[in-house]
Amino acid sequence: MSEISLQSSAGMPAAPLGRLLGWLGVRATLVTGLAIGLAIIFLGFAGPSLYPVDPYAINPAHALQGPSTSFPLGTDELGRDELALLLSGGFATLVVALPAAILAFLTGLAYGLAAGLGPGWLDRLLMRLLDAILALPSLIILIFFASLVTLNNTSLILLLGFISWPSLARLVRNETLAQRGRDFVLATEQLGASRFYIARVHLLRVMAPILVVNGTFMVGDSIFALSALSFLGLGVQPPQVSWGSLLESGLDIIALDPWWLILPPGLLVFGALIAASLTGQGLLARYGGTR
Amino acid sequence: MVATRLASSSLSILILVTLVFFMAHLTPGGPAYSILGMKATAASVAELNARLGLDVPLWKQYALWWWHLAHGQLGYSYLLSRPVGSLLWQYEINTLVFYTVSIVLSTIISILLGLIQGVYFNRWPARLIGGLQLGFYALPPFFVAAMLVLWFSVGLRILPASGISDLRDANPGIATYAAHLVLPVTTVTLLTVAALSRYFGEAVHEELAKDYVRTARAKGVAFTAILFGHVLRNALRPLVTILGLSFPYIFTGGVIVESVFNYPGLGWLMWRSALSQDYPILIAIVLLIGILTVLGNLLADLVNGLLDPRARYE
Amino acid sequence: MSAVLRLENLSVALPRGSRKPVPVLDELNLFVKAGEMLALVGESGSGKTIAALSVMRLLPKGAKISGQAWLGETDLTALDEPAMRRIRGLGAAMVFQNPLAALNPSRTVASQIQEAYRVHNSASPRAARARALELLGEVGIPNAAARLDDYPHQFSGGMRQRVMIAMALSCGPKLLIADEPTTGLDPLIARQIMALIGRLRRELNMGVLFVTHDLSVVEEHADSIHVLYAGRSVEWGGGAEFFAHPRHPYSEALLGSVARIGQARLQNIPGNLPEPESRPPGCRFFSRCGYSQPECNISYPPPDPQGGTTAACLYPLPATSRPIYFETLEKPPGPPREPQLEIRDLSVRYTGNAGLFSPAASLPKALADIALTLGRGECLGVVGESGSGKSTLGRAVLQMIPYQGHILLDGQDFAALRGQSRRAQRRRIQVVFQDPRESLNPRIRVADAIAEPFRLSADKSNQRERVNTLLDRVGLNPEIGQRLPGGVSGGQAQRIAIARALAAGPELIVLDEPTSSLDVSTQAMLLNLLKDLAVETGLSYILISHDFAVVSYMADRIAVLNAGKIVEINDTAALIASPEHEYTRALIGAAPQLRDRLSAPPAGVKTL
Repeated sequence: MSEISLQSSAGMPAAPLGRLLGWLGVRATLVTGLAIGLAIIFLGFAGPSLYPVDPYAINPAHALQGPSTSFPLGTDELGRDELALLLSGGFATLVVALPAAILAFLTGLAYGLAAGLGPGWLDRLLMRLLDAILALPSLIILIFFASLVTLNNTSLILLLGFISWPSLARLVRNETLAQRGRDFVLATEQLGASRFYIARVHLLRVMAPILVVNGTFMVGDSIFALSALSFLGLGVQPPQVSWGSLLESGLDIIALDPWWLILPPGLLVFGALIAASLTGQGLLARYGGTR
Repeated sequence: MVATRLASSSLSILILVTLVFFMAHLTPGGPAYSILGMKATAASVAELNARLGLDVPLWKQYALWWWHLAHGQLGYSYLLSRPVGSLLWQYEINTLVFYTVSIVLSTIISILLGLIQGVYFNRWPARLIGGLQLGFYALPPFFVAAMLVLWFSVGLRILPASGISDLRDANPGIATYAAHLVLPVTTVTLLTVAALSRYFGEAVHEELAKDYVRTARAKGVAFTAILFGHVLRNALRPLVTILGLSFPYIFTGGVIVESVFNYPGLGWLMWRSALSQDYPILIAIVLLIGILTVLGNLLADLVNGLLDPRARYE
Repeated sequence: MSAVLRLENLSVALPRGSRKPVPVLDELNLFVKAGEMLALVGESGSGKTIAALSVMRLLPKGAKISGQAWLGETDLTALDEPAMRRIRGLGAAMVFQNPLAALNPSRTVASQIQEAYRVHNSASPRAARARALELLGEVGIPNAAARLDDYPHQFSGGMRQRVMIAMALSCGPKLLIADEPTTGLDPLIARQIMALIGRLRRELNMGVLFVTHDLSVVEEHADSIHVLYAGRSVEWGGGAEFFAHPRHPYSEALLGSVARIGQARLQNIPGNLPEPESRPPGCRFFSRCGYSQPECNISYPPPDPQGGTTAACLYPLPATSRPIYFETLEKPPGPPREPQLEIRDLSVRYTGNAGLFSPAASLPKALADIALTLGRGECLGVVGESGSGKSTLGRAVLQMIPYQGHILLDGQDFAALRGQSRRAQRRRIQVVFQDPRESLNPRIRVADAIAEPFRLSADKSNQRERVNTLLDRVGLNPEIGQRLPGGVSGGQAQRIAIARALAAGPELIVLDEPTSSLDVSTQAMLLNLLKDLAVETGLSYILISHDFAVVSYMADRIAVLNAGKIVEINDTAALIASPEHEYTRALIGAAPQLRDRLSAPPAGVKTL
């Protein structure tokens, strides 16, 4: 079960946490989530320029040192500055994960709308296909496909983007079908509105909250999936580092107790996931569902 | 009703198998190219293709493949040169043990936590549990595993960090196996409980707010009787669905956790095969997982039907 | 006096978040005698359900109760929870609305009745099961032995309510509290349930506290009545005396706004219920009362007993058998109208279950061989119970579902049209649905919702002006246009839905149970509005409803549907005076039968 993503895994519905927000209130949850999320994004994109140390500069003399004034987060076994590695890795992670999430979102939305609005046979066909795709846990599929292709940023984006869309597609399709039969949609049809008009003006507006919430989760899922792949060596390829691969290198030499190599990348991935989770839950609690 | 479900499951498996097969064979140059890597020349590729039976037309390979499957032959590992079937079985057992223990443990803990969370909703026990759930749910499994190893194996030196048994031990006993299982099981249980108890807690809370609970109170039924006699069977339903959906995980394991602990299970095998592009194993594992997932869903549907009288009479 | 239940100065305040608790019931005093039924009547917000729940101490956490509730010799308010549990189900039992939700879907009916019995009796499971069988027979469930192990969803609505009643009776309680048990049931079924409760209370000498908003349901059964408004009692006393001459202005208005068969005009109660936080110091009905004087607003009026009822009013109406005013229904058939809508050989099949082994042609029909004509400006009522196909008929006319047969509007058959021309033709028929909240997109502002028909038409000019004109026409303030549907009341939402329908410039409107979700007084206002609109604009209506009285008030002709076929169709007056089909007779018999009263309005009525 460690492959469960924030949003769902292999077709399971997203855990409804609307009311069980722990000891935080709704507003605090939302604010915290957004704050952490924006901080991480800032770190990833602006970080390398704010801390212009070459992450690949090897300093054998300073290898495996803990945090100090010259190396704020210590060094790895090759003497490279861990903080610089982290920031570079952040950039590499975000530059793949964010576009992948957007790609996944758009694909899922289009697929779900097509199934929900189209004729019955199209719905059945698309859903049968979707079921087959969802039959495999997403990480397994990712690993499988990652082994087939050469891994660069573009292929990773395509890979990640095309893997996490199915659950959104199912959600959108179910919601579209549910909303289509509601009285106000029927009344609008009676006015002579076309299906496109209804989808654009009514359905999207009603579904907007859950779309935003799930989109947020998908960003978290994307970062997680990329980190997991990188950890396994099937994601971002060397010499480029990412949070997942940094964690893996730290794990390699774990007998030497290098907590400064393990804690920071792990916390950053955790931070990204928590941010997505909190923001999504906060939005869900604040703006409710579709009624 | 059961017949239609079986039919649609079979269809899903068929589509799955076909998809997997064709995906695997669509790599540019074919699998032989990937295996030979730097050493690939036209001649060596052709030779490898002939040896591995890859030079036959694709549709023929596909048909041959079903033939082999029907006979229980899953092919040969390219690199390890052993029949895939026996490999799978060996690693499978390890994963089975590992995950069965984890899921049983997780279910028990989740039910307990969920009950507390649903009953004490909005009071401090529920909020505490809710906060912990949120935190653990977002923890990446590799991070949790790494931290556990750091604390217990490296720091405190009380638990082994990897493998399934000590390499120096000729006859490992149950205790050794158990010790090696502790950290992996803890990792998986922590993360699973975070998710499961969340579902269950929410389900319990929802059920407690329903009308039939008020009716039971109006009859004079005591709260514990309401909880266990009425609410539980309704709240367990979503949990059973999820467990059914997770059923395949018992067999397939978690790649990440197994890789961190170098635990020789099915997930670990898949990882290594992916890295070395050993396609027969990869395909076999993916197929296995796919079929198990479909069966798991079917099982979940059937059990759900047993539990929910309304579904039975559709 | 053998009072089974006696409430003394019972007041309840409910918690509202972190703020002070809000009083929802103030100083309720009533008593129920053994073997008698007291009807506790009020609209939503009156506090009647809260009163019932507080007797059983089933209020939400944090609710504050003051006063006493005597069940025989025991003060229920003073008991601790374990003691109260011993009373629930044994001394007093409760039956709720919506039996499908009130029963556990995962447990058999037998197990739930057994549970009720074994909570208070140490009996073996077999003995309890025998008792359950006995009870099911008592409440009139046919073939009870076979149905013991069935689940709630396998029973029909009426049967489920009988099961709930059986469950409540299992320990022989002295008091039965019924909270709107017939709401949502078809009128014929509701009548059966009322008859059952009546029989049981007499046979078992059980006191019944019957909570309802529907006066007509209790008219034949209530020994005494207690009317609540905005949390306080306004009138109480003997049932017969109350219905003969209600003395509080609110009671009179309530009776007047209930549609009765043969009524020509419904009385409307203008204004709205005061918010619980801002209740006036004096009589709470003050702002809506047609007889009010300044003194009424100073302090709550003391009780004034006379002629069998007590009214909390400074100027109660006289206790003589002086009837409520209303015009009798004349409704002569009128000049023949030119046909506008024609339906020929219409049938609709149930969809969804067609498959390999049950081709569509062999499926049962929701509607079969329907033929009727609607004249221009006519209101046609369509009545029937649930499952009769009346809603299906509406949807077919609206072209929302596939059908076989012909529907022609002004001679033009819909089946012959396609695309743009079909859409244009569809626009000429508009719809108003039952649930006002569902008819509006919760995220679109009221003004934009009403303007939508304009945006979808050829003439997109002057939208704001036209929207305001429509709002004014349905009696709403233009400023409501800026609100979201969530911020308006049910009655207002329904008026907005009507405005939106009108914006499309239709010639015919299909009204599908337009008032079933609304309070009685709101219902009156809405029906009057619809009638006025029809007169002003020459609109035709197809009015679909299960409420015969509402339909008889509005319709020129009535079609009665049963199991997908028209069993009778005739002019309203003729149909009601001499129904031909026995099903029609049964329906009319089940409808509100408040006694006729004829007179001119009494002098001194203030117009608001």
